[in-house]
Amino acid sequence: MNTPVIEIRSLTRDYGRGRGVFGLDLTVEQGEVFAFLGPNGAGKTTTIRHLMGFVKPRAGSVRLFGQDCFAHAGELHRRVGYLPGELALPEELTGAGMLAFLAGLRGWKDERDADALARRLELDPRQPIRRMSKGTKQKVGLVCALMGEPELLILDEPTSGLDPLMQNRFVDLIGEARARGATVLLSSHLFEEVERTCSRAAVLRAGRLAAVQPMEQLRRSKSRRYIFTFADPQTAAAAAARWPQARAEGMRMTARVQGSESLPALLALAAEYKARDLETHGLTLEESFYQYYEKEARI
Amino acid sequence: MNGALVRRDAALAWRPFLLIGAVLAMYAGVVTSMFDPDLGESLRMMMEAMPQMFAAFGMADPGSTLAGFLANYLYGFLYIALPLVLILLLNSRFLVRWIDQGSMAWLLAAPLSRRKLAATQAAALVVAVTLLCLWIAGLGLGFSTVMFPGELDMTRYAVMNLGLWALLQLLAALCFLAGCAVPDSRLATGAGGGVCVVFVLVDMLAGMDEGWEALRFFTPLTLYDPAGLAAGTAPLWPAAVLTGAALILYAVGIAVFCRRDLSL
Repeated sequence: MNTPVIEIRSLTRDYGRGRGVFGLDLTVEQGEVFAFLGPNGAGKTTTIRHLMGFVKPRAGSVRLFGQDCFAHAGELHRRVGYLPGELALPEELTGAGMLAFLAGLRGWKDERDADALARRLELDPRQPIRRMSKGTKQKVGLVCALMGEPELLILDEPTSGLDPLMQNRFVDLIGEARARGATVLLSSHLFEEVERTCSRAAVLRAGRLAAVQPMEQLRRSKSRRYIFTFADPQTAAAAAARWPQARAEGMRMTARVQGSESLPALLALAAEYKARDLETHGLTLEESFYQYYEKEARI
Repeated sequence: MNGALVRRDAALAWRPFLLIGAVLAMYAGVVTSMFDPDLGESLRMMMEAMPQMFAAFGMADPGSTLAGFLANYLYGFLYIALPLVLILLLNSRFLVRWIDQGSMAWLLAAPLSRRKLAATQAAALVVAVTLLCLWIAGLGLGFSTVMFPGELDMTRYAVMNLGLWALLQLLAALCFLAGCAVPDSRLATGAGGGVCVVFVLVDMLAGMDEGWEALRFFTPLTLYDPAGLAAGTAPLWPAAVLTGAALILYAVGIAVFCRRDLSL
């Protein structure tokens, strides 16, 4: 069996007052795009700091490619592209200066594919960083992390500050990284972006692992609301009576479908009553997770 | 040593270096021009009038040689205080600010071991202090050659500059260690600089009054006696002690940095 790219064993780091991570166990295999999901303060960044060897675990172990993250940080980072959650780019540099500096730190003669990446993200790297907007800085950070096609990408909140168009570009870039066999770990509190990029996700809550599930399964557990409009209130009520837990309000009927198995049946029903309009409302993963959280909280 | 990091250091260092270098040049020019080979009787009279004041600034004996004169008026205080300002600025730019602003994350995420990273920054500081000392030595040499050709005793002048180099390396190493070891990076510069300033003040107090004499055992500045070196009465071994201590402090600083948690 191959050595897992990321291996976290009962990692514990207590920052007091419930902050930190507690007994985290996690394995990410080569080629996976893995997401850390959770609200702020759930322990995502703390875990990433351990993976990058910035801090030493108080208990447990953290390994990348089978090597200890703290002791072998220098060698390991040859294979890792990293985007910090707090960008903190040196303000006195230009974007291009930063890219050149990072290439130099990595011991490269040039910036490799940085230009191409900058073009994909519509970044003009010539301006000074201190004059850049948050989104532009984020692009510089992304190019820094992605350049040179690293084997492992560790990205802390990669799309923060990016507009929807650039978020799409980011999704494409991650797809390409995945296609060339790279492993990706990204953290996010945005469930949409995770849904589009990741193959597996871990849900962190208060420093503990609440769930680790393949994306497919999460998607299946995701439910949707469909709102049909009928000719008159009587029709709407009649249709609603034939679907479990459907509600009728005036000419509208709201039905909920989990997964996609029962959707054809719902559509057939709507057709039978000659529905005139259909709206869908995705219960996002976010809502699904909050359902999950609530369940947990009750236990 | 990492080339890219060294170039970054140089880019961050040259402005403050030029500024302090220019101020030093001004003082060196003015003070050297005040030297009078037939000796300022007036200076001696002034010193007799307020000996404590002169002693506090390390100007115990105005001396009759040019080397002694420079030792008294420049090497006793100005050439320690002004370079200290530069050391604090550079230590902040090479190390503390990276941690404070969080941009250290980019350095740590690079394929550089922490040892190499810290050693590069320590080396940058050592080189900067050495360049500053060369500049200082060059200033005195230049001004005295122009104004008083043949007056400067080269051997003694070289020795007192060597001593200054050793002392400044120790102060720089102290600041570096503080930057590596003090967990709150905002406090780090203050801690390193504060200790150095206290050393200077203690040295001033010890020199000012006989009653405070014992204080000189509490400051490394005692190990540098520019007037004694200029007069040929002080030994050079204290400079070796200062250099050795500086090396130890650098090594400890690097070791602490390697073990430290950096929540970036």
